[in-house]
Amino acid sequence: MGIGDIWNLIAMQPVINTLIVLTHYLFNNFGLAIIVLTIIVNAAMLPLTLKQVHASKAMQALQPKLAEIQKKYAKDKQRLAQEQMKLYKESGVSPAGCLLPLVVQMPVWIALYQSIMHVLAVIPENLLGLSKYLYSWPIVYSTLPLENHFLWLNLATGDMLLALLVGGTMWVQQKMIMTPGADPKQQQQASMMLWLMPMMFAFLTLSFPSGLALFWVTSNVVRIGIQYSATGWGALVKAAPQKKGERDKKYKQRIAEVEKAPEGAEIVAPSLTQEEGLSHEEPGSERQDRGGGYPKSIRAIRRKPKRGRGHRPKRR
Amino acid sequence: MNIRSNIALKVCLAAILLLAGLTLFGCAGIRSSPEGISGGVIADGTLFLCPSVKQAGGLGCASPQLEGKLVAVDISNGNRLWEVSLEASGPTGGGYGCAQSATPVAIYGNPAVAGDLVYIAGYNGRIYAVSASTRLSQDRYVNEANPQPIIGAPAVVGDRLYLGSADGRVYALNAVSLEKEWEFQSGGKIWSTPVIDGNMLYIGSFNKKLYALDAGDGAKKWEFPTEGAIIATPLVYDNTVYIGSFDRCLYAVDASDGSLKWKFMADSWFWAKPVICNNTIYAPCLDGKVYALDAESGEKVADFDLGSPISSSPVLAGSSVVIASEEGKVFAVDTGSNQLRLLSELGEMVRAPLCTSDETIYVYTGEQNLYALNVESGVKSWSLAIK
Repeated sequence: MGIGDIWNLIAMQPVINTLIVLTHYLFNNFGLAIIVLTIIVNAAMLPLTLKQVHASKAMQALQPKLAEIQKKYAKDKQRLAQEQMKLYKESGVSPAGCLLPLVVQMPVWIALYQSIMHVLAVIPENLLGLSKYLYSWPIVYSTLPLENHFLWLNLATGDMLLALLVGGTMWVQQKMIMTPGADPKQQQQASMMLWLMPMMFAFLTLSFPSGLALFWVTSNVVRIGIQYSATGWGALVKAAPQKKGERDKKYKQRIAEVEKAPEGAEIVAPSLTQEEGLSHEEPGSERQDRGGGYPKSIRAIRRKPKRGRGHRPKRR
Repeated sequence: MNIRSNIALKVCLAAILLLAGLTLFGCAGIRSSPEGISGGVIADGTLFLCPSVKQAGGLGCASPQLEGKLVAVDISNGNRLWEVSLEASGPTGGGYGCAQSATPVAIYGNPAVAGDLVYIAGYNGRIYAVSASTRLSQDRYVNEANPQPIIGAPAVVGDRLYLGSADGRVYALNAVSLEKEWEFQSGGKIWSTPVIDGNMLYIGSFNKKLYALDAGDGAKKWEFPTEGAIIATPLVYDNTVYIGSFDRCLYAVDASDGSLKWKFMADSWFWAKPVICNNTIYAPCLDGKVYALDAESGEKVADFDLGSPISSSPVLAGSSVVIASEEGKVFAVDTGSNQLRLLSELGEMVRAPLCTSDETIYVYTGEQNLYALNVESGVKSWSLAIK
């Protein structure tokens, strides 16, 4: 038995036959079957997906410490690697945790993809090829060939609207997981990738049967839901909380600097507005982010040492 | 490097790998462009064949060959006599991205010959009529408003040409002008080839029904429901219609009133047209077996395991039924003793129907080679690459 036979036995046959049976029970509607099976597969892989999402989130949380280490051991690569590994170990984060679940899921997606292509069987050659994947269930044989129409779509041919949906949902998903970096160059690079992938998929979708595009759209929507439940909208909503987080960090750094400084030493710190590029605001004008205001004087914090490090004053 | 950007880049990289994986491995074995699996037909010492339309190799946007052709071969020596191009003036296939802009002239049904004219039905929804003497051809869409693929072969009887279309209709055309004379809406796609017997036309549909129509005006005489779609070509013999269905059954139906005589269930679809000899039906199946069934009762007389699916329609040559399996093995079943013997191992996929003349079998393979085999010895008389 070759690799191809094993692949057919454990991946292709179950998926193809499930698709056909689902079609039978979903009013002979192949489009609905694709949507339902995609949801089922996503649900089955939810633990892996969540693991991937949380691993990515944990990696992001480690960023300040990693940046610090990188800065500290910039000239000693070996030590840098050691310290990074040490940090990963201490914090229980595995760099492979982000990619491994994705790699594990790939065969499932490929099987689903191949199955949809096979089951569509719009030309006699494909229908002939399909027969070898079928279980000997009467329902499977009598359901074929499947009806290719779903809503406005011919599932066997490409569709412009669905291609745009594939691109759009992919963009949203990418945007949710991609947070802007501090380095403008890398930010630009990430931004380019954010657009490149959805555009590439949207373009390719036009060449593939829309049954496959339906699978991609459903999959993207489900993943957006998972991502939202795990991490929220992320960078998709670049509203105040994001800035507030940045400001929190800087604020804490400033507190640390002040606390470390000897008594009576002068600390020169740029104003928050200048530092955050908000200099366009009129002095004294009302800021949009009312809840994120901080005392303007660093010394004001210094006068309240009992509150400890990292304490945020109450919102007004 | 910024870790967050790093992660984002890794995710993008993984997505690109996934896409590449899907494109390179996911597409493996799945064709999206029709190529055709037509067999030959012999008339007056000439074999007429429409070769398959092969896709150009390469990854990504493979450009399929669009033009089809009709080739005439001298069966005595395997010389190519002439060929005529079948132009790809088909409907557009979208044209976005890698999508092809026109439908290739892939031919699935055997050509039909009547006098000087050779008729070919194309996947692009056109019917072609080529003069064997002048090589002049005419063609037209069967359904001008909504061209749909024609998979089955046309059948010519008298001055009429009959065919089924994926638009769900059975058409009767004037054999000379190709003008429509009547049409019948079946309610499901039609890939089956019509068979005319007397004044009756029999054809199967995707809507799981076998239809009997009046060949004169297209009026429905009866319909016979099965549990699966019907793609196979019916065999009519002794007032009985034998037809395979996607429910894995071979049915014997009374030709006069459409009542069931018997049915036989196999392990897969009956795709190819069966043959009959000595009151025994030889029905090839995609489960790799040929079933020999008593034509009256449907009782299994014997079965022959060929080792791979059989989609090529067999032929009766002398006292032998000659069958080719998909993996390219050609067998002969002696109808007297029901003994199976291997004639030849071509080593090339065979899906096209076989044809025969005198003591020779003609096999067109997926590698676009035409072989002439002696039915007794299995020795190759000649071979010809037809691309």
